[in-house]
Amino acid sequence: MSLAFDDYGRPYIILRDQGSKKRMKGLEAYKSNILAAKAVANTLSSSLGPKGMDKMLVSPDGDVSVTNDGSIIVEKMEIQHPTAKLLVELSQSQDAEIGDGTTGVVVLAGKLLEQALTLLDKGNHPLKISDGFDRACDVAIKHLETISEEIDIQANEHEALIQAACTALGSKVVSKRKRELGKIAVTAVLDVADLARKDVNLDLIKIQTKTGGSVEDTRLISGILIDKDMSHPQMPKEVKEAKICLLTCPFEPPKPKTKHNINISSAEDYKKLYQQEQQYFVDMVKLVKDSGANIALCQWGFDDEANHLLLQNELPAVRWVSGTDVELIAMATGARIIPRFQEITPEKLGKAGSVKEVQFGTSNERMLVIENCQCTKAVTILIRGGSQMIVDEAKRSIHDAICVIRNLIKDNRIVYGGGSAELACAIQVLQYADEVSSVEQYAIRSFADALEGIPCCLADNCGLNPITSVAQAKSRQLQENNPRIGIDCMELGTTDMKEQRIYETLSSKKQQIQLATQVVKMILKIDDVIAPDDY
Amino acid sequence: MSQFLQPTILLLREGTDTSQGRAQIVSNINAVQAVADVVKSTLGPRGMDKMIQTGPKVTISNDGATILNLLEVVHPAARVLVDIAKSQDDEVGDGTTSTTLLAAELLKEAKPFIEEGIHPQIVIQGYRKALELALEKLEGFSINISRDAPEEKRDTLLKCAQTALNSKLLANTKQFFSELVVSAVEKLDPNILDRDLIGIKNVTGGSVTDSFLVDGVAFKKTFSYAGFEQQPKRFENPKICLLNLELELKSEKENAEIRIEKPEEYQQIVDAEWALIYEKLDIIVKAGAQIVLSKLPIGDLATQYFADRNIFCAGRVPQEDLLRVQKATGGQIQTTVNGLNPETFGTCGLFEEVQVGAERYNLFKNCPQSRTATIVLRGGAEQFIQEAERSLNDAIMIVRRCFKANKIVAGGGAIELELSRYLRHYARSVTGKTQYIVNSFAKALEVIPRTIAENAGLNSIEIMNKLRQRHAQGGEEGRWYGVDINGASGVCDTHSSFVWEPSLVKRNALCSATEAACAILSIDETVKNPKSDQDTKMKPRGQPGRPPMGMRR
Repeated sequence: MSLAFDDYGRPYIILRDQGSKKRMKGLEAYKSNILAAKAVANTLSSSLGPKGMDKMLVSPDGDVSVTNDGSIIVEKMEIQHPTAKLLVELSQSQDAEIGDGTTGVVVLAGKLLEQALTLLDKGNHPLKISDGFDRACDVAIKHLETISEEIDIQANEHEALIQAACTALGSKVVSKRKRELGKIAVTAVLDVADLARKDVNLDLIKIQTKTGGSVEDTRLISGILIDKDMSHPQMPKEVKEAKICLLTCPFEPPKPKTKHNINISSAEDYKKLYQQEQQYFVDMVKLVKDSGANIALCQWGFDDEANHLLLQNELPAVRWVSGTDVELIAMATGARIIPRFQEITPEKLGKAGSVKEVQFGTSNERMLVIENCQCTKAVTILIRGGSQMIVDEAKRSIHDAICVIRNLIKDNRIVYGGGSAELACAIQVLQYADEVSSVEQYAIRSFADALEGIPCCLADNCGLNPITSVAQAKSRQLQENNPRIGIDCMELGTTDMKEQRIYETLSSKKQQIQLATQVVKMILKIDDVIAPDDY
Repeated sequence: MSQFLQPTILLLREGTDTSQGRAQIVSNINAVQAVADVVKSTLGPRGMDKMIQTGPKVTISNDGATILNLLEVVHPAARVLVDIAKSQDDEVGDGTTSTTLLAAELLKEAKPFIEEGIHPQIVIQGYRKALELALEKLEGFSINISRDAPEEKRDTLLKCAQTALNSKLLANTKQFFSELVVSAVEKLDPNILDRDLIGIKNVTGGSVTDSFLVDGVAFKKTFSYAGFEQQPKRFENPKICLLNLELELKSEKENAEIRIEKPEEYQQIVDAEWALIYEKLDIIVKAGAQIVLSKLPIGDLATQYFADRNIFCAGRVPQEDLLRVQKATGGQIQTTVNGLNPETFGTCGLFEEVQVGAERYNLFKNCPQSRTATIVLRGGAEQFIQEAERSLNDAIMIVRRCFKANKIVAGGGAIELELSRYLRHYARSVTGKTQYIVNSFAKALEVIPRTIAENAGLNSIEIMNKLRQRHAQGGEEGRWYGVDINGASGVCDTHSSFVWEPSLVKRNALCSATEAACAILSIDETVKNPKSDQDTKMKPRGQPGRPPMGMRR
């Protein structure tokens, strides 16, 4: 990128490593940026909707994952191009805030950029385009709010929530079981939700996966499941009315943290030392036992010696419980975490209805289920499935569904899916465009076209003719003044999404449109790219 | 005959590059121009952004100083531009692009004089004279706002913040953000206005308008150990204990060794260590602290101890956040708990841990000595938030300056044109070469409105003519005419359309641009030493000083 020449035609060296840098300016820069971003959006567009396809991604280590979740796909694609990376972050920020709709947001951004490219070719100033998009975005958001409907989340055994969860699950590999999984997700969220404050702490829902069985075997445990078994095979497999002692110290003689050395000079001393160590074990077990605990969970490991003693004293114990599990168990059972044996008191024990070791299939794998906890503020969803890939994908799908339900609890307004909301907004934006006198008019119109791109894409993925079906839906929306007409992806014979009960949260749709517009505006504002030559 | 020839005198090391004379000045001017061209298109409300990739990092920015810094300019004369942009950034915080452009334009105007053989010093003198006059006039033109009522003053500050945000990504939400920025600056101590006390925290996700201001301190939840979730997450009027102390079971001294002679002593050592940590924790609890924050880690033992006693704790709090908490709550950071005095505790109206996007944040609100504020920025992508942060930084600096200086001028190129008009007028009363030079200074000032118009896609020649005519008519009405990027005519009274800037920004920009131009004009020789030998030779050969066996890693 030589920037200047002197009177003899020799280039100046103004920047460091000038020769190895590349500079793109003006229209060239816009186009290169837009094309890169569009490429990402195109990859994702076939994953949109209930009939969307999955992508198989192989990581550098050879791990294979199959997914339909937009944010995961773009994350694993390891995109290098800086502008394309913006779309990756776009998807992730939708994931962080809403948890669902990560594909839709990228596809919408791609459609907007496509429109922007045509406008640029016609000679529009990029900032006029972005101004127009911005105004159109405001109109679309306002319209979304007017067509949104409040639903009663309590009515009919939370039917509305289940439907919304089903919509989120509809596009995933587990769609066959969407009703069952949706119910599980709804129950899980309602168990931990604080309905008065409209707050759901998702940390309290633990999702545990286990390969084997089928997706139908997925179940909700109103308690905690940990991937551990009793420390000794002869310990009882079930403890009723459990009083749990949560320890963060090992069943071992205590060690000072300071570097230490024990010098033993005589056999007598050695014996003493041995006895003292033995005494420690006895004391420890006694302390636990005396407090009334009938099961001990320990964050660290313990000696075989201790294990044996525990068995003899009929005190079932579990070792190497992870820190996060310890915390969850403490929350659920009302236990206090005990840092050393001297501090065990009966008040610090947690209470649970039962602690049970369960075994799955023919494999020798066992898990511990802690149920009927004192304060059931934590639940676990145990996902089963034929292979690791299915289980992983099911986990992501359920996570999406949980997010949708959480958003509905926060804000119970919904819009209808199947592209109907986008179509309704597009119509509104088009009307608005006619009222604008300046150049932005064209950009606003293009925004409407981009919004129509979503139902188009949906129809395309479902094997329908995109143009006819979108045109039909649009004309029916206009004729009947009914914003709920969308694309009949499932071929149920009706295009009224209220009848099909395809619910999406208002917050998710709003966020999608806002975020996509924001990123497009940002890309449109870049007129100069300075990068290393291999860009 | 040959013995009578002068021997060649080697003055400089071999490979040294020298160039001198008039050609050198012209060449420097060209280089400066090339750099200024890069930032030119970022000026004004219709300015564009640059995307610069340095290694794996990508920056998208509209801020002149940031762009110049990332360009890694190596040309010695062009570096002067980078330096003035930086100094403008440090001193005023905004107006970096216009400073750079102005300096380059002054040089461009000087180029014909140099080529025609006018001595550079005469040009420099002329520029200095013109600057002096311009500054004097700027002072006269600027509008004093210190006597305004507080509400009006606040309104002025809002307008200034909006002008600063106009050219940035946040332009469409400038009302929202100007409100945020002005409220944040108002929270500060009006006498000092320490910029460090306004924290900006970035959280990806959400829309930009989800950003909010905390009248106190906010920071991201620190790493926590098991037991943390059992701590209370909300306090009203808590007592906050600030520590720079590790609360963990650990050896008190590094490398200490204990020698135990008898097995019985073993337990004593263990107990002693526990006693040490428990003693510390006990002191904190007894003193009545409800929130414990430490710069150093707070271990799992302490976390659980505090959880049992309904105390909230956070370890590994970043230094700057801790300092801000100290300022906001009126507490003092302690390095030991011995003799912990409840008087050193701070307090605030409300403490809460809340979910912001995917993160949990600790918020300290309604602080009694609220001399600090935190802006939590939300937005779609990482780069977006980073650019938003830079923009807000500019706006904060502008508002601060405005708060202090109390003088404003109208933007949109209006003030530059007015100064230009005045200088042209003045030039007619001068005899000699200075006349030309003052005239070119006046012409150079026009670069600002011209570039704004060009960037907005307007016909700059037509606009400039309209503006010159308005200003030439003189009087109060014509004075504030500047570029209007929205209207059909292209010009408007920018004062009445509220494009306001603190006069200090312009003052500093004029001064540093002129200084830079003069500095470059006065350089008539560059001696560039070749890269030192060691640098170039070391790399291929490895380290020659070492014996071969040093190859082992």
